[in-house]
Amino acid sequence: MITQLFRKKKELTFERVYDAPRETVWRAWTDPEMLRGWWGPDKTTVPLCEVDLRPGGTISIVMEATADMGKYEGTRWPMVGTFTVIDEPERLAYEARSWTEGDEDGTTIRHENRVTFTDEGAGRTRVHLLVTITEIGPKAKMAAFGMKWGYKAQLDKLEELLAESRTD
Amino acid sequence: MEARTFSALGEPSRLQIVELLRDGPSPVGEIAETLTIRQPQASKHLRVLGDAGIVAVRPDGRRRIYHLEAAPFEEIGRWVDSFERLWEARLDSLDRFLGSLTERPDPPDSAPDSAPDRRSP
Repeated sequence: MITQLFRKKKELTFERVYDAPRETVWRAWTDPEMLRGWWGPDKTTVPLCEVDLRPGGTISIVMEATADMGKYEGTRWPMVGTFTVIDEPERLAYEARSWTEGDEDGTTIRHENRVTFTDEGAGRTRVHLLVTITEIGPKAKMAAFGMKWGYKAQLDKLEELLAESRTD
Repeated sequence: MEARTFSALGEPSRLQIVELLRDGPSPVGEIAETLTIRQPQASKHLRVLGDAGIVAVRPDGRRRIYHLEAAPFEEIGRWVDSFERLWEARLDSLDRFLGSLTERPDPPDSAPDSAPDRRSP
């Protein structure tokens, strides 16, 4: 509902080309052991990762802040999703909830993730990710991410986005 | 982000008012007219939006001009930005992860087609 006000931002798209064959990239997104290897960026770990790879099956991943995140150490961000599309090795989609552990009611956000894997030849794979945020809980905050992963380029982008969202 | 920001916007007329004010400040009379509601009703909605910090009023002679306050929206924008940055970081992490796989000697059956081009470990 609220995100209707921010149509531009309701849908986040990402696109990367990886130097790995499509089968490998597909497995990186669907094999729990491989998912654990990358789901948590710097300063986080992935203590739990379960994948029931079938339509209607569940994907559960917990990301946890390490001591490097300072005061956020030990904070856990679970995500639980349900697969809606499994079309190996090309398309994968799931609807999910993410929240900050300890305040599930307040911080839950709902989002749909659609991943498309395209074989670019020469062992390279294009990953297109569309994240549609459908609901943001009243207290949903990921300040920890904003502060700890504020790459310079990203900060510039942030300013740009904030300027766009100004309502004057 | 405050819960009342969301509850204030949870009513269709109020959401419509916010959409309307995105185009610029407006007096209550015009707001009521655009939404085809009575002025007292519009005032009531504007009061709720005002209490939530979403709109503010500025008198202009005898008219009361309502405008959007940027703060609550910026907060939501910042939140979405942080979510976006999380994904950027995560996809970078995937790149490193995939890199670590190809640097390891692969069993023959999983060697990519581009094997001759691969960087040597």
